[in-house]
Amino acid sequence: MNQLALLVALPLITAFLLPVVNRVSTLAARWLGPLVLLVTSAIGISLWSQLGDSAVAVELGGFRPPLGITLYADRLALLFALATSIGTLLLWPSRGEEWLRQSTLALILAASGSGLALSGDLFNIYVFYELVAVVSYGLIAARSSAGSFAATVRYLIVSSFGAALALTGIALVYQATGTLNLAQLSQLAPTHLNNLQGLAAFVLMLIGFGVKAELFPVNTWVPEVYATAPTRVSGLLAGVVSKLALLIIVRLLVLVFNQPEALTVMLVLGMLGVVTGELAAWRARDFNRMIAYSSIGQLGIMFIAFSIPGQAGVFAGLAVALHHLVVKPAMFLLAGRWQGSLDRLAGAARTSPLGAVLFILLALSLIGVPPLPGFWAKLLVMVNLMAQENTLYSVGAWVIMGGAALEANYLFRVASSFYHRSEQQTPPVAHRTRDLATASLLGAGLVAGAVLIMPLADEIEGVASQAANRDQYVQTVNPEALP
Amino acid sequence: MTPLDQLLALSALTVVAVWLIGNRQVTGWNATILYAAQGVLLMMMSDLGYGEVQSIASSLTFKVLGHGLHWRFDGLSWFFALITIGAAFLASWFASGEWGQRYRAAGGSLRLFHVALALNVFSMLVLLASGDLLSLFIGWELVSWASFLIMALGSATATRYAMRYVTYAFAGAMAVLMALVMVYTRSGSFEFQDFRDAVPAMSSGSLWMIVILFVAGFGVKMALIPFHLWQAKAYAETPGPGAAFLGAISSRMGLFALVVVLVQLVGVERLADLQLVFPFFSARDLLSWLAVLTLIFATFTALRQHDARRLLAWHGIGQGGYMLLGVLIADDLGSAGGLMHVFNHATYQAVLFMTVTAVIHRTGTSDLNKLGGLVTRMPLSFVAMLIGIIGLAGLPPMNGFVSKWLLYRALIIDGSPLLFLGSVVGTLGTILSVYKLIHNTFLGQLRLEHVEVEEAPSSMIWPMMILSTIVFVTGYFPGLVLDWVASAQAAVGLPVLAHNLGGVPSHKGGLDMIWVVSVLLAGFGIGALVFFSGGRSKRVHQLDNYAGGHFLTAETRYQYSDNFYPGLMHLIGPWYRKSFRWLERGFVSTVDTLSQAMQGFYRVVHPSFYLLVAVVSALTWVVAR
Amino acid sequence: MSPGELIIELFLMPLVAFVVGLGMVLMYRRIGARIQRRVGPPFFQPIYDIIKLYGKHTQISHGLIHEIGIIMAVGGYVAAETLLPVPGMSGLADKGGVVTLAYVMMIPSLGLALGVGQCANPNGSIGISRALTAMLAYDIPFILVIFGAAYVYGTTNLADIIAIQQQQGPGGWGIVQMPLLALAALLSLQGIMGKQPFEIYIAPAEIATGPMVEMSGKFMGGLFVMQCFQLYTVGVLYTTLFLGGGEYWLTFLPKIFSVVAIPMMIAFVFPRYRTEDVIRLLWKWPVLIALTGLAVVLR
Repeated sequence: MNQLALLVALPLITAFLLPVVNRVSTLAARWLGPLVLLVTSAIGISLWSQLGDSAVAVELGGFRPPLGITLYADRLALLFALATSIGTLLLWPSRGEEWLRQSTLALILAASGSGLALSGDLFNIYVFYELVAVVSYGLIAARSSAGSFAATVRYLIVSSFGAALALTGIALVYQATGTLNLAQLSQLAPTHLNNLQGLAAFVLMLIGFGVKAELFPVNTWVPEVYATAPTRVSGLLAGVVSKLALLIIVRLLVLVFNQPEALTVMLVLGMLGVVTGELAAWRARDFNRMIAYSSIGQLGIMFIAFSIPGQAGVFAGLAVALHHLVVKPAMFLLAGRWQGSLDRLAGAARTSPLGAVLFILLALSLIGVPPLPGFWAKLLVMVNLMAQENTLYSVGAWVIMGGAALEANYLFRVASSFYHRSEQQTPPVAHRTRDLATASLLGAGLVAGAVLIMPLADEIEGVASQAANRDQYVQTVNPEALP
Repeated sequence: MTPLDQLLALSALTVVAVWLIGNRQVTGWNATILYAAQGVLLMMMSDLGYGEVQSIASSLTFKVLGHGLHWRFDGLSWFFALITIGAAFLASWFASGEWGQRYRAAGGSLRLFHVALALNVFSMLVLLASGDLLSLFIGWELVSWASFLIMALGSATATRYAMRYVTYAFAGAMAVLMALVMVYTRSGSFEFQDFRDAVPAMSSGSLWMIVILFVAGFGVKMALIPFHLWQAKAYAETPGPGAAFLGAISSRMGLFALVVVLVQLVGVERLADLQLVFPFFSARDLLSWLAVLTLIFATFTALRQHDARRLLAWHGIGQGGYMLLGVLIADDLGSAGGLMHVFNHATYQAVLFMTVTAVIHRTGTSDLNKLGGLVTRMPLSFVAMLIGIIGLAGLPPMNGFVSKWLLYRALIIDGSPLLFLGSVVGTLGTILSVYKLIHNTFLGQLRLEHVEVEEAPSSMIWPMMILSTIVFVTGYFPGLVLDWVASAQAAVGLPVLAHNLGGVPSHKGGLDMIWVVSVLLAGFGIGALVFFSGGRSKRVHQLDNYAGGHFLTAETRYQYSDNFYPGLMHLIGPWYRKSFRWLERGFVSTVDTLSQAMQGFYRVVHPSFYLLVAVVSALTWVVAR
Repeated sequence: MSPGELIIELFLMPLVAFVVGLGMVLMYRRIGARIQRRVGPPFFQPIYDIIKLYGKHTQISHGLIHEIGIIMAVGGYVAAETLLPVPGMSGLADKGGVVTLAYVMMIPSLGLALGVGQCANPNGSIGISRALTAMLAYDIPFILVIFGAAYVYGTTNLADIIAIQQQQGPGGWGIVQMPLLALAALLSLQGIMGKQPFEIYIAPAEIATGPMVEMSGKFMGGLFVMQCFQLYTVGVLYTTLFLGGGEYWLTFLPKIFSVVAIPMMIAFVFPRYRTEDVIRLLWKWPVLIALTGLAVVLR
């Protein structure tokens, strides 16, 4: 099980070796990154198959908690680590002049993302989170334009403030409990954190980590960044990184802050995210901004879903998150040649028929049309929301419904313009083969998900039940600690 | 494989086969044959239609997320499926000949058209077969998107209205989903039976909510007021045979779903118990009035149309009102009238759309201001349209009369004079409007440019003639259809209509169409005898004529549809206020304003300010607790 | 009843209707003459008219539909007569009923509309547009009346309606039981018969306008026959619904003649309303009266 560390270490080391290798052979350097990610993905998959229902904790260097660095891998963590590797692989930066820097950054992102998913204590989570943040600044700013820099600076400021807030929250937790190990926190939380200070710490961390998870109202960086960054990077941020930030929040909720107030805060902010995101997207006149706003809305749905107490919430949220993880990067890949004004897209189906069909497929799944996976995820969320006693949850269900109705409108307005022949302007150029191939792969995954919905649902439910199981977490990390 | 499996498999196969054959002339003929084969498979299940078997299940079942999904056919599904496949068969036949050649030559893809049609049929069969609420929703969504596909094949206008449809339909679908979830939380499953069992225990508040959501969702497809704005133009601009198919059956899927939910599951008696705050006005009354208002508004909007296809499409919306009203009366007569009207409407609406398409095929226009006098050039099409409009207007001897008679009879027994008045106003408006249609197309002055026009090709005439024959024969022998209607009634738990071949025997005033139609025909015979006993008449040219002291010439055109009924419009013209359009526009601009505000929020220059506000207010909340 | 007797009845009923209808046309003209202080036509004038019209030398046809329209106009009423029970003959009363009758009575209008439409004469089309508009106007109160009657008697079978009234004697007649509906029906009869002040759609006084503009010879003759039937039909229908029908022809004939006489008398002292005023009037007073009457009988 020590291969677990490889998921983090391998890309990290490669990232630092890359400039050296480039001196020797450019060709080797170009292929090294994807190759390593392929290897880590393979490791991840083999670990997944070994893991089964059990979880595993690894103390790096053999130090016991609370001193050592703990890596904790249950299926949820592994799934997101795997998603990071595969996501980075699929969205590997395109070959520009800056390819070396971009590749290095992408590898570090893969490493730190995996680390974030696998970390078992708050301090490491913070470290990896910061690493992800720094790397993403670099990635976003790759396109050297004024707009891109402005967006990056905005993002940098918000993100740093957010990180500071998260750190404050962590400090509060540490002050109250004296440990940052999640397993130990989980044991101490009922006595030490079930108070004002605990709630304050959670709120600070929620807002802090929420910056990357596109939480309302600290998500104002999203539209500008996604509109100006390279589309593959946007896909990576919207698809993978946002989910990693969300993962931390979910871990905290399940293990540490298991209080109804914490859930309520998330629910309300999630609803506001859906409302603002979908409404803003409705009027967007630019492809990237439209999907950026839509991504805010989708993340809002995830927040709503995760705010459902118990395993049901984790299951529902996870389903929506995984679905979005597949759909949004594909959308951004299509944005590669379609970015800019929506008016420009009239007749795009003529130059890129496959792209148009893919967009429709993704849109259908995104708004939740059966039998695509998006529908089942939405159904799960709805059923569980309505099952709650608290009427606030039913309001959440209504908000999701309204958001979906709006989303259907703006997405299909665009989709139908693809088939609208306009004589005045030339349609956009065809997609790059690589973008289209990757998007098709994701689309095919979506269709496969629809066909294999039954085993898939069982699998995700298994992941969720494990993730929602506090005792297993505690026992795996620290067997003798349990009373 | 059960017969239902075979039918669904063949239907799916039709889609694939048509796709593989591609954009060729034979595509249409192949599709037609495959629909015929589907019809044969359906006939092998005809025990359902005659009430000998309760239901035939599909062996296909799934269990997703703990919810079972299964499919089955009962009498109601069979009845609707018969109409669906019949309409598809004839529409596809109609499209296979010269129409298809012309369509392809004009740049249309026959592959796309026939795939869309086959997909519609398949999705409708899936919907009709749904055996639980979840499969109902899945089928519903499939139908919605399939009909979007066929509508979007048309002109830019059609696409625009199809887009509008998507907006309405998806919002409606969300309403349905919301209702499903509400049902689920109260009954614990998506099974029909559990819903039915849970209804008595539901509070009226939540049942109101559920009913409203279902009606809003399914009402979109039926174009029930106030969700009717999308339909007419979207249907009208769909390629001809597609419009005939959509007009015949597509909207009725909404009725099917409403019947399943409101009649079969909730029960009309429960609806009648749901009182609004104002006494004597129940959910059932509300829905009945929605149905009647839909009928009246749509019919009188149709009266003002200048385009034959839009006129018909608006009538299609209006006639849906009769069906819903009939079903809501829920006694044996009324519900039979409502359900039978589905069949009758499908037959005459299809033939009307086909004749209009045939006219377009020959003259290039369906603008009622630019046609006229074609009866001498296209007599068979005229006969088809005449039979169609008599059916649509609901006059004897066509089948439309029988279903309306059942409805009127039920309303008299029920003692609802205003609903009765509303339905009669709808019928009268229809007579006015269809006369305008046939007058401005086939009667009156033949224009010079149409003197050389020929009769429609045989590939169009045949389906039209078959449909007109059905319209007449099922009016003559309504028992043929009432058999199916009765088993459909039994399937959803409505009282079954006692009927015979000629209609409804009753000592309180029955109907025997065999006698009525026979004396009518005999009356025409006597009328002919009386007429032809006179001297020989001389046929004259249409311009051998004078008006207002002047001889008419080809330049003096008088075929017009604007203000065809000036006296009436002088009075009711100001009542057309486009209120629903204003309502829709108001809603859109509200969303637009909100959207602008939200974008303003996201466009802020100092995002960290929000961060500060968020933290401060969150911490305040924490401390204040 | 054996099928043979029924067939004989079905032949007799229209024949009787035609003969009585001729008498009504005669009465109409005589009433007009009396009011205008003229002598009026001789007894057989209606028959002479028909013979004259059929014997005309110039008969202009505008095509088959023009002819079929006339056939439909006459045939529709011939069929309608078999649905109307008269003393001694019930015909198809139990197989159609009052609702069917109301709809069969629309067929002649449609036939006429088709026939006139084929004539390609703008004035004819204008007349039809007015006629259909007027139908929309007078049918609304009329249908309310039919609803009320069918609801009160609990049946749509006209033979049963007569039987119910006759059992109770004159006190049980519809006109006593539901006077308001009877009044509304009388007002709408004026429209159905197309008599002044609601006769703009027929416009018999102007040759060059209205549906009759292209009708010559036997076409006009057919319409004349149709008018006989029409007068008879409305008279019998009203008598059946409100005046207890008739046990014997001796009591029945005075009833139907007096029913028809009322609108005729009104007709000759009134000028004409414009189409929109026809609608406004018929939608206002008869409808209000009928609704009030309905409110009375329903509660």
